[in-house]
Amino acid sequence: MNISSFQTEFNKIMGRDYFTNHVKPIREQAFNNFLEEGLPNKNWEDWRFTDLKPIKENNFRISEIGDAPTQSIEINEYGLNDLPTIVIYNGHYQESISSIPNGVRLISLSEYGEQKGWRFNEPKDSPFDLLNTAFMDSGFCLSVDKGVQIESPIRILFISSSENKIMVSPRVYIELEESSSVTFVEQHEGNSKEYLLNSSLIMGIKRNSRMCHIRIQNNSGNTFNIGNIHIQQDKESHYSFYQFACGSKIGRLNLFTNLNGKGAECFLNGLALTCDHQHLDNHIITNHNAPNCTSSQNFKSLLNDSSSGVFNGRTIVSKGAEKTDSNQSNKNILLSKGSLMNSNPQLEIYADDVKCSHGSTTGALDRDAIFYIQSRGIDMISAKALLVRGFVSEMIESISHKYIKQYVISKFDSWLNENTI
Amino acid sequence: MLNIQDLHAGVDNKEILKGLNLEIKPGEMHAVMGRNGSGKSTLSNVITGREGFHISKGNIEYKGQSIIEWSPEKRALAGLFMSFQYPVVMPGVNNTYFLKAALNAKLKHHGKQELDAAGFLKLIKEKLTEVDMDTSYLQRAVNEGFSGGEKKRNEILQMLTLEPELAILDETDSGLDIDALKIIADGVNRYRNKERSFLVITHYQRLLKYIEPDIVHVLIDGKFVKSGGKELAIELEEKGYSWLES
Repeated sequence: MNISSFQTEFNKIMGRDYFTNHVKPIREQAFNNFLEEGLPNKNWEDWRFTDLKPIKENNFRISEIGDAPTQSIEINEYGLNDLPTIVIYNGHYQESISSIPNGVRLISLSEYGEQKGWRFNEPKDSPFDLLNTAFMDSGFCLSVDKGVQIESPIRILFISSSENKIMVSPRVYIELEESSSVTFVEQHEGNSKEYLLNSSLIMGIKRNSRMCHIRIQNNSGNTFNIGNIHIQQDKESHYSFYQFACGSKIGRLNLFTNLNGKGAECFLNGLALTCDHQHLDNHIITNHNAPNCTSSQNFKSLLNDSSSGVFNGRTIVSKGAEKTDSNQSNKNILLSKGSLMNSNPQLEIYADDVKCSHGSTTGALDRDAIFYIQSRGIDMISAKALLVRGFVSEMIESISHKYIKQYVISKFDSWLNENTI
Repeated sequence: MLNIQDLHAGVDNKEILKGLNLEIKPGEMHAVMGRNGSGKSTLSNVITGREGFHISKGNIEYKGQSIIEWSPEKRALAGLFMSFQYPVVMPGVNNTYFLKAALNAKLKHHGKQELDAAGFLKLIKEKLTEVDMDTSYLQRAVNEGFSGGEKKRNEILQMLTLEPELAILDETDSGLDIDALKIIADGVNRYRNKERSFLVITHYQRLLKYIEPDIVHVLIDGKFVKSGGKELAIELEEKGYSWLES
């Protein structure tokens, strides 16, 4: 997708009159900024290991009326049937099949914009943030009021299904008021051909509130999934993130967490399973902007066939963020000779009194361990499966919602069945 | 039970065992003693079928069948077991899950009913008391955070659970204090009977005070240079190995 194709699509979206006029200047500014920067290439430090050529070589158009669901959507086929679900189909909210639990409020992006006087802080951390703002579809904002604890997890189900090469730009705001708590499941599914999904989730977690965010990235094999997640955390707030990614051709997670208030904590976890020629890239930035905050980044990958992966984790401890406690860990298992992992854990520390650690390991399955298991009467394939399960179990077991954990285990099991390791 | 004939074996192109003969009959306990580098570990590795070890000449027969082409798991299912000198740590792999899978693989192989979770738990709890381990073991990962003594006790626990007919104890005494050594020796001694055979590989005579061998072999440079009764172990302790070197 070259710049002139982006321009053509941008002109189209600016001509759509069902978006409020207030959005136009916001789009325009973001798009102009995007034109200045262009799409990343491998000379950009943050994109060294992710080749966007397949995206650049395709022409995607923005979604049209014809991309709306032609028949009723059976969301049960995506599992997790009992969860209240907000359905986003090809970038657009499907009100008729969505349900929201009591205590959660959903307003449209227009209403949200009105409330904020059309002045909201647009993320500009990468060109994909700018593209999302320039092309954002009918987004929405979810909020949980002060002191409200939502028991049932809420799912946002992104279905990407099209025969055509389209680009969608979902925009979701989530706001947790003081002392509230909620669990979100962000699930990506669908049966698309070449397809560019560039979503932005922007979350504010107020004082003493807790959010658990589980991201399941299970797009079809030709999808490009760019996920931009921005989190602002106030004092004593808690954010935990679990990603289970096994889908898409190229998947890139840009996760920016900002610990802005004293005593805030965020625990970021991810498991990536890749095969064929898949490429999954986790770009994780944690900013410690206040003292006494705790953070962790714990990412693991299992790579098979000719697949590849990236872990680019950075923890930045600003001046004054004393008593920071942070940990970074990236562990990867290469299941095939043709797989490749790029691991780059980084620490930037500008404060004096901090406790920070990081580590990274990449290698094949331990041959001694395989022999040990075989020597107890278990065949080699089962021995490898046992080790692989052991490798991922810590990650999966840490999901506290039993129902979701079971679902992730079943997804992992089917991945393992489909892959020769 | 085990019959090794003129065994020449090694790693890469280096020959380490240079014509070794050994016959172990049912119910016998054999000890192999030797210095570092004499070929003790190579012997246990070729019997259990570890990859990377090549047999250039000779044969290993187990219950009358040549096993040198068999996979490690096939040997295990047929009743061979090795207590590892360095048991492997497997993060995330739960002891209960692992040992139950191993036991059920064996039961299935012998056409027996596999154990369900409750049945296995009952069995393993009995075995745990035999090696003086508590039930917290069941929730832990295989050998993760285990002390040297716990690792070796875990090996013996696995032996007691899988009930092999021929058990190789490879340097089981290394890194053990005297209390742990006694627990392990008691476990092994209770397990001895006239059908079960053992091959104990050790540096020192210390273990053999508690587990009395029927026959002791001295391994020097890939060959047995002397075999004898348990008194040979005592003699070695006093005189060292040099008097046996040609």
